[in-house]
Amino acid sequence: MDRFTYLRAGDVYTASRAIHSAQTARGSASEETGLDRSGIYLAGGTNVTDYMTLGVLRPTTVVDINRLSAELYSRIDSDAQRLRLGALVRMSHAEGHPAVRQQYPVIRDTLMLAASPQIRNMASLGGNVLQRTRCEYFRGTSWTCNKRTPGTGCAALEGLNRQHAVLGTSDRCIATYAGDFAQALIALDATLTTVGARSGGRTIRFAELHRLPGQTPHIETTLEPGELITYIDVPAGPWTRRSAYVKVRDRESYQFALCSAAVALHMEGSKVREARIALGGIATVPWRARESEAALRGMVLDEAAAAKAADAAFADAHTREHNAFKVPLGKQTIVRALLAAQAMKI
Amino acid sequence: MSVEAPEPASNQGQPAVRLDARIKVTGEARYAADMPLGNVAYGVLVTSEIARGSVQSLHLEAARKVPGVLDIVSYGDVADLKPPDFGGGAYTSLGPLHARDIHHDGQIMALVVAESFQAAEEAASRVTAEYLQQQPSANLDSDGTETVAAVGNVARLKQDPSHGDFQGAFDGAAVRLDATYYTPTQTHNPMELYSTTAVWNDSRLTIYEPTQTIYGLRAEVARQLNMDAGDVRIICPYVGGAFGSKGAVTPRTAIVALAARRLNRPVRCIVSRSQGFTTQPYRAPTRQRVRLGASQDGRIVAFSHEGWELTSRIDNYVVAGTETTTRMYAYGSVASRVSMVRADRQTPSYMRSPPELPYMFGLESALDELAYALQLDPIELRRRNDTAVEPIEGKRFSSRHLMQCYDHAARQFGWGSRNPQPGSMREGDWLIGMGCATAVYPTHIGAAAARVRLSANGRVRVQCASHEIGTGVRTVAGQMAAEQLGVDLSAVTVEMGDSELPPAPVAGGSNSTASVCSAVLMACKQIRTRLFEGISHSGKGPLAGSDPAGMRLVGGTVITGGASQPLAEVFDGLGAAMVEEYAEFIPEGAPADAVRKLYAGHSTLTGGPGGTEVKFAFGAEFVEVRIHARTHEIRVPRMVGTFAAGRIMNPRTARSQLMGGMIWGMAAALLESTELDPRTARTVNRDLQEYYLAVNADTPGVQITMLPEVDPAVNPAGVKGIGELGDVGTNAAVANAVFHATGKRIRTLPIRLEDLLS
Amino acid sequence: MDAHPLMPKRYPANARFSRTRRFFLQGAASGAATLPLAASAAAALAQPARADRGPDTGAVRPAPAGPRPGEPETVTLRINGQSHTLSIDPRTTLLDALRDHAGLTGTKKGCGHGQCGACTVHVDGQRFLSCMAFAVTLEGRSVTTIEGLAGPGGQLHPMQQAFIDHDAFQCGYCTPGQIMSAIACVEEGHADTPGDIREYMSGNLCRCAAYPNIVAAIQRARQAMKGR
Repeated sequence: MDRFTYLRAGDVYTASRAIHSAQTARGSASEETGLDRSGIYLAGGTNVTDYMTLGVLRPTTVVDINRLSAELYSRIDSDAQRLRLGALVRMSHAEGHPAVRQQYPVIRDTLMLAASPQIRNMASLGGNVLQRTRCEYFRGTSWTCNKRTPGTGCAALEGLNRQHAVLGTSDRCIATYAGDFAQALIALDATLTTVGARSGGRTIRFAELHRLPGQTPHIETTLEPGELITYIDVPAGPWTRRSAYVKVRDRESYQFALCSAAVALHMEGSKVREARIALGGIATVPWRARESEAALRGMVLDEAAAAKAADAAFADAHTREHNAFKVPLGKQTIVRALLAAQAMKI
Repeated sequence: MSVEAPEPASNQGQPAVRLDARIKVTGEARYAADMPLGNVAYGVLVTSEIARGSVQSLHLEAARKVPGVLDIVSYGDVADLKPPDFGGGAYTSLGPLHARDIHHDGQIMALVVAESFQAAEEAASRVTAEYLQQQPSANLDSDGTETVAAVGNVARLKQDPSHGDFQGAFDGAAVRLDATYYTPTQTHNPMELYSTTAVWNDSRLTIYEPTQTIYGLRAEVARQLNMDAGDVRIICPYVGGAFGSKGAVTPRTAIVALAARRLNRPVRCIVSRSQGFTTQPYRAPTRQRVRLGASQDGRIVAFSHEGWELTSRIDNYVVAGTETTTRMYAYGSVASRVSMVRADRQTPSYMRSPPELPYMFGLESALDELAYALQLDPIELRRRNDTAVEPIEGKRFSSRHLMQCYDHAARQFGWGSRNPQPGSMREGDWLIGMGCATAVYPTHIGAAAARVRLSANGRVRVQCASHEIGTGVRTVAGQMAAEQLGVDLSAVTVEMGDSELPPAPVAGGSNSTASVCSAVLMACKQIRTRLFEGISHSGKGPLAGSDPAGMRLVGGTVITGGASQPLAEVFDGLGAAMVEEYAEFIPEGAPADAVRKLYAGHSTLTGGPGGTEVKFAFGAEFVEVRIHARTHEIRVPRMVGTFAAGRIMNPRTARSQLMGGMIWGMAAALLESTELDPRTARTVNRDLQEYYLAVNADTPGVQITMLPEVDPAVNPAGVKGIGELGDVGTNAAVANAVFHATGKRIRTLPIRLEDLLS
Repeated sequence: MDAHPLMPKRYPANARFSRTRRFFLQGAASGAATLPLAASAAAALAQPARADRGPDTGAVRPAPAGPRPGEPETVTLRINGQSHTLSIDPRTTLLDALRDHAGLTGTKKGCGHGQCGACTVHVDGQRFLSCMAFAVTLEGRSVTTIEGLAGPGGQLHPMQQAFIDHDAFQCGYCTPGQIMSAIACVEEGHADTPGDIREYMSGNLCRCAAYPNIVAAIQRARQAMKGR
């Protein structure tokens, strides 16, 4: 691990300025490429520390944001319209919160099935959504990787790619977005509040946070340098209570998803008024399966309708040598999640 | 008594609590890297990023500039070191710094030493290399490998076991099976990281390192450093799991010792989890072709087992599990052949049940296939081919209670409720499968030495440089002494893990309990003899003149006939403070100089099929799998194992080992595989994120039963090894259960959900 | 024989082959030291929690001289009830601080990447992975390690005793982490059923696979902990 300067920020503005300063010191050219991670925020550290230890992240300045106002950023508030999660709320806190458990079960499930209890005690929600891929070719600094070191090539394309994505891929990168929580957020149309952007504070749709790899897989989000997520807002809807998450993996616990599906249903009797479906473990970014949702609208939800909707999600899938199974697995995961949500007693 | 501390059956000792239990739950147990030392410097390895080629230049300048860096040991610095001795104590013949050739991924290129771990790690990351790279061969089926027969290249293998006319019998068999099975590369991954701490005092060297071979490590490191072994001391009272990985010496140890000598201060090198995948050995992948021919009534008339095992280009390592599988059942005829496939990998070595775990997967899967082909219950197939005499040389088994194990386990499991039709059992969304397989492990024993002291205050001290890797050997050695000297276990202390103590064999082949207990037993007998003769001849006290042969030590008292005398008085009468005896135990069939060899670092294990009788422990294992009908995750809610393994010294620690073994075998079937990128022969999943060990949620209820078994032929202690027995056959039982659940026969491990998706 | 061209394209793929590491940041770091807002840990801590006051208030006061990367930082931790002031490289994880600086080697390193749980300790009563937290970030917080569980007279915590009674370990290396995790598991209310225990203990790997015994020990200790 490289040496770094450790700064502890007392408010979000100085935190953001510290990142800007670190990057200014490095020069603006790299800032434009999105590659500049010379200044980096540290919250729970479960992702940042890992990648610093591996030498994937080599910041010169680490800005500790854990002492930002807990009253502001470690709070969970909810009313009839929405759920507001502070970005410094720890995963375990949200997982156990009554409003989350009762009103937003899919959020609870995505948190509960992620990582381990220790990690969930440490990891912040803001950091969670920004977690970086666990692609082993990205993690190991001696492999070629366009995401880690632009222009070097992608070892995963023709390599051991069982873990890798089949949706949202490019010829530069097939690394999977590994998180669970983000699937709930994208399914429920969450929004983010940030500070530190050039324009000051702003609100962005969660669905616009992550960028497809395309030709620039190293640019992973639409956040500007130094921009800091402060709040996550989830609007309440007639689908939020009937929501569930199915996560498929080799181990029963403590493993990233091979495939997962977050679903939320607004039912009218046996008919689907509206469905929300997001997929994890199979795409390069949190993945909203809008084609599947459209296929379900107005349909009686049964095995056949679920299967037809599931097929629609994978029309554009690109498989590789070791991950073709994710197409049939993904379809089955969607069906399983839909039927599980339908069966929920509310 | 409880589930974890079973009531002892006949020929079983007490389920005593581990002697080291308290210090293991308080954090006081000192593992090798925990030893407090002043002025210690930290070493970090730099390893290669190619698998085959040579290092053209290694740039150390940037690393040297990192504040706190003290020294870098690399090419050109090891002229004083001898390369490792493969077949001596080392797992490989490769001295990684002796030449700039790269033979495998992650080969050691340098050791960076700094004032802090952080500085050493940073500096190591700043070392860059230029390589001349050649296309490597990664695996059994890769281009560029070389296949050679094991017999003729590996001295210990005299011939491939065979019997009768296999081809003729196979061709004429009513039912024939010809199937090929694959087992993957696996990595031991004990929870404790590999480490070496080297401390010099003038010309004497102390090494703290987790090892399964205290004397072997001492001898091999001394040889590499051109030292007298007597000037090297190895200290390692606790080992944080080993499973074979710490049984052979790796090149790191001498390099760290060299760095400590250059700096004249202690150096501690803790190997990262990732580097543990490439600087330590592993379980080689195998390909196995099994042919079975049977009569319509289920008698096996022909059995052929061919194995191909991966090894390095430079060393001939082979496990040859055919030595066991060809002796398992009453085959009418047998053929076998083992070959090595040389690839650009580090040399493999032993990992828990080295031959049996992969080879019994082939045999026990094939038997299940044969049972279905015959429409015969798989237990019944094994019963029809059970035998008291192995088919290769016609030797008798010293004891064999395989079918008793099956009958007991089948009842416990509820095998009778199983519908044999594949795919017929289901509960909700979950398909249910039930399978079984045989566990077997050769009973090994080695020469061992021990020193035991009985003090006037009734306390006993046992000394033996055996290895507490979690097996409970410290506890059972103490139990043996307590039993033999008539004291409570709480009065016994057991010292292990130090080369200043009398030597024990390598903690491998499940020999430790048998070997160490036999040596302790011998020392205790010597103590009794000396004590009783002393009493008899002392002319004082109530026991004077009594026949020593009639005396016994019970509850801190010497008893004979109607008379008795407390130990304290006995010692007063003798004017002695203690009796201490040193014993050298040499098992039947071992060479007369076996203990001398042991002091020189070489363990000679006997037993298994090698003697006049075949000495094996047996068991029967049953597994239930549940497979989701849509997404096909494979879960194992319960397992049942029944074992017959001679005298059980401690049912508590024995049950834990057998249970852990079965979970190990389950993980070997469903989770574990070290995966190499075929283009580069480099390991991709070199961490615990993607190398899947079973987690708590994966582990089912495991029901373990140890049948009473008496086998005085195996050794004086009557003990068969159990550390490896539990994990043998489990992988086949899982695969057989998966077949039962789905109708899909998976012959390649690990079995993954994608294998079951249509 | 040609090498596989898996490495960067700008290198010749077939013969002499070299690579260097990217992100070579020496030199660039010096800029950070000129930051006007650089941080004294103590200064930041002195600020009470409060609402943000806007961009110009500067909650972090400038230190007399900005810290240079890698310079030791002073951090005060409460470990097992005692205050420890350590001067450490900011890169030092809590795990390495405990083992190498505080002399507490009961907490074990099993992976260094949050993948095994061997390093589990309690921070302010919650289970944490000590390998994933830089010690400097825990200024002023309370850390409990395995050494801090037993009472002053050496009486064991009920979880320690239950681990002994149920033979919930073999090699013992993961055990400190298992016990710290297990106590938290009970205190969190995640030990009501064996299924809950298995799930909520899955962040602690045990290669000896003592898992069923660990579950039994936690069930037993849960009863004993009710009276505490």
